Formats: sequence, structure tokens, C-alpha cells
Amino acid sequence: MFEAGVRAYREVYWEPGYEPAPTDVLAAFRVTPQPDVSAEEAAAAVAAESSTGTWTSVWTDHLTSLDRYKAKVYDLEPVPGRDDQHIAFIAYPLDLFEEGSVVSMMASIAGNVFGFKAIRALRLEDLRIPVAYLKTFPGPPNGIQVERDRLGKYGRPLLGATLKPKLGLSAKNYGRACLEVLRGGADFTKDDENITSQPFMRWRDRFLFVMEAVRKAEDETGERKGHYLNVTAPGCEEMLERAELAKELGSPIIMHDFLVGGLAAHTTLSRWCRRNGMLLHVHRALHAVLDRQKDHGIHYRVLAKWLRMAGGDHLHSGTVVGKLEGDRESTLGAVDLMREDVVRATRSRGLFFDQEWASLPGMFPAASGGIHVWHIPALVELFGDDSVLQFGGGTAGHPQGSRAGAHANRVALEACVQARNKGGSLAAEGGEILRRAALTSPELAAALDTWRDVRFDFPTVDTLDPALA
Amino acid sequence: MKRLETFSYLPPFSEEETAAQVRHIVERGLVVAIEHTEAPDPRSPYWTLWKLPLFDVRDSELVLADLDACRQEHPESYVKVVGYDAGRQGQVISFVAHRPREDGV
Repeated sequence: MFEAGVRAYREVYWEPGYEPAPTDVLAAFRVTPQPDVSAEEAAAAVAAESSTGTWTSVWTDHLTSLDRYKAKVYDLEPVPGRDDQHIAFIAYPLDLFEEGSVVSMMASIAGNVFGFKAIRALRLEDLRIPVAYLKTFPGPPNGIQVERDRLGKYGRPLLGATLKPKLGLSAKNYGRACLEVLRGGADFTKDDENITSQPFMRWRDRFLFVMEAVRKAEDETGERKGHYLNVTAPGCEEMLERAELAKELGSPIIMHDFLVGGLAAHTTLSRWCRRNGMLLHVHRALHAVLDRQKDHGIHYRVLAKWLRMAGGDHLHSGTVVGKLEGDRESTLGAVDLMREDVVRATRSRGLFFDQEWASLPGMFPAASGGIHVWHIPALVELFGDDSVLQFGGGTAGHPQGSRAGAHANRVALEACVQARNKGGSLAAEGGEILRRAALTSPELAAALDTWRDVRFDFPTVDTLDPALA
Repeated sequence: MKRLETFSYLPPFSEEETAAQVRHIVERGLVVAIEHTEAPDPRSPYWTLWKLPLFDVRDSELVLADLDACRQEHPESYVKVVGYDAGRQGQVISFVAHRPREDGV
């Protein structure tokens, strides 16, 4: 019988001890209720508002089986050192989400609930995506192994460089900047995320000059090269038009900014890449707006999972050592989620759930942002071979220019890989390895001289909970 | 100047340096193979296989002996050592261990 009125959320959505089904989507939320709201009620409100519930009973509840569709809070864990905060574990039945749609997941799990008045702050820390749901997603269009086989590059991180200055070059000068970097030894150059199609350089002109540079660098060096042509556009029609020209010109790779472009546009492009054999580099502008604050928002590991489902071959991961925020363990946890097939729950890395990827291809994490040649030993150790290391200022800022800058980075990279394979410790001997390699490379010697002692030592804003770890 | 991917920006390896890299491949449990060609082309993924891949070889000296034999027979070719990861179903390592004397590369 229908009883109108308001019931406490916890009466319906708080089910401690519920045993999650293997097909449930699981979420870990960091919940900070308003002072007079209990942890159970706040957590139940999150489950309710992100699934079937609304603030009052409605007669139409009785036309469906709430038990079948409602989300359930199955565990609550106090956050040590924060008596106002809990981690709420919520299980969502699979039927709440449309097949193959990250957009559908985001609308529920990251929807209204983040603005709910009774909750002071809310953060989505992690998600467990069940295999049954993952199998409805194509995932990365190509994946790490296919990219390596296509480009013939093995046994080392790939080397990239973002062209600088990021705005204001003409198309011809931009192509020159690209050529100098590629002939110096980089595998890839990259459009900065702000480069789309501005008055000073329209996209078609950029594509034509850049691909001329890519071809010339390939002829000169005998190695495969590529430039991430940014196809992020005002609308999907323009995005696909740009992608088509990139393909026509023989580019092996294009680039998209998945958050600012939007997940629907991104999914369309990723499917296009799968159909057309095009590699897809994915930038993440906007992410720090969503993921940097510890108490509110969405952790990057969740954004990275969504992107692996929607599809991408490279995804920016942070560098740990460079100019941009990124806690070491947290970053390594996200990197595992990008490229491993099975990732185990590891609280010391902020991973709350086991995640099986069910053979969705892995993505290269791209480390980019304020890194230079002295960071290379640490980067090789942190990220391993299956990564792209991208130096922008750390290439074009070389005293002899971009060509020498790229050459220096390539020599340093190969020297570190060689030493690591011999059993050397990059952490202990990194500086010595670089200095020794510089004896036969004047380009590396000059780079080492230029950026000696340039560090970015600032406290992390988004820290992991030490006691949870 | 033509390059040949991994390690081609370093000075040519000594015998010991080559041996160290081969040891690394063997110790990682990868399947080792030796390939050669007279005309490397970055758009052509297939070089000629020197024998079958050396399945089950756990002694890097045997690999180095085969590498030598390949070099003796094809002194004017490029010879590379590759490592396959059967679990990952793909090649994960490759480096050129021999170049023609009059290389110019």
C-alpha cells in the first residue's frame, strides 16, 4: 500500500552485510555529511540519489521492484583521523547502466548526488567495473602491443615532445619545430591541448605542414615517426572531418581531449580509430578541476578507468617528478589500471577493488609536464618500458635547439634502459649513468648542464590516507 | 643519419655489452630469436629469421654462439636480437647487434 511522506534513506538503501554479486558495479565514496546527518543516512542518500531514489515516497515505486534496481550501501568504513568522514561502499545492479555507455554511468554515479545538500562533500574514490559490463565496451582502439608492432619500437619507453610555444606559431614554423624534434630522435611530437584551429594557425594548414615534417623525418632517420594531430573540435562533424584528413595524409596517430570534448564525442572517435587503424592519444584537460581535491570530486583512477572503457591508446598519467601534481603511489595505481589485465585492490595505492579488464587492450601512460633529462632515470624506473615520456620545454629549451634537445633525451633514455637491463639501479646510479653517457654525446652534456638542480618540490594536495594505506 | 631503433643512439656495443643485453632477455624468460636483413626498412616488419626462435634456451652463451654464426654467414647484413613474450603474445624487445662494416647508417 502506498504511504506518502518522507522516509529515511537508510531504511531502504543501507544493507550492511549485503554480499555484492559478481555483476554489480561497486563504488567507494568518501562521504562527508553535514554535521547533523549520520554516516549511515548520508551514505544511504548517496546510494539512493545515484540509483532509484528521490527525496519522498512516490506511488510509482509500487509499479516496479525496488529490490531489483536499487543501489545498496553494504559497508561503511571510518576514515582514520577524520571523525566527520567515512568511505561508503555501494553496490549497483548492472541493469542501471546502458551497455557500452560511460556517459550512462557518469550520469548516475557522478550526477545529482554530488550537489546533495545533506552532504558537505563527496568524492568518488574508486569503481569496480564487472567483467560482464566491460565486455560491452570495445576499449582502446589498438592497445600497447599493436602500437609497438605497427611502429616497430620495442624494449624502451617511447619518446615524445610537445611543441612549444603552445600558441602563436604559424603552420609552417610549427612544422619546422616538429621536424627538428623528430629528426633529433623523438618518436612523436604533440599538439598542445590548446591548439585546435585558431586564427594564427588553422587546423588544415597545421596538418599539411606537420605531415610533411613527419615524412621528412622518417626518410632521414629510417625510423617511424608520428605527430599527435589534435582533432578536438567544436562539434563531432568537425572532429571527424579532421580525423579523416589525418588518415588521408598518412598520419599514424591523432589526439583527442576526452573531458573537454566529452565522453560521447570521445567514444565516437575511439570507434572511428578502431575502424580506421588509427592510434589515439588522449589528453586530459579539465581533470584537475574534477580530481585534485581530496574531499570532493572524482579521483583520477576512476576517470582513467572510464577512459580505458571508452577507448584510447595513450593517456596522460602524471609524472610524479615533474611540474604537475601527482602523488607517487596514487599515480602508479592509476598507471596499473591503464595497462594491466588484472589489478588487485591495494590500499597503499588507493585501489579499493580488484579490477579484471577481461582482455581490453592496455594503454600507454603518457608522462608529461615539466620533465627534463635529469628526470629520465626516475621516469624509466617508475613507468617501465610501456610508457610515453614527453618533454616539451625539456626538448625545445636545449641551448642548441629542439634537435639537440630530442637527441639528448633519446641518448639518456637508451643509456638508462641499457643500464637497467644490465641489472643496474637507476635510483642509485641514475646521475652517474647520465654523466657517463654524456661523455660521447655533447647534446646530452649540454642538456645536463642546462637543467641541473631544476626540481618541483611542493607538498601534494591530494594525499592518500596514511592509515587506510 | 639512419637509425635502427632501440640503442641506435648509443655508441656501438662491445661484445660484453651485447652479451649483457642477451642475458637480460634470457633471464626474463623471453623466447629469443635472431633475424637478419640486407636492407632494413622501417615500414617492413619482417626480417629473415635465422633458424627458428630459440625456444627453451636458458643459456645466453648458446644465443651468443648463434648470433656469431649468423654474423659469420651474413657479414654484410644487419642482425638483430629479439625477445618474444609468449604470455603477452607479442614481441617486447629488439636491438640491432651487428651492422655491415661499410655501414654509413
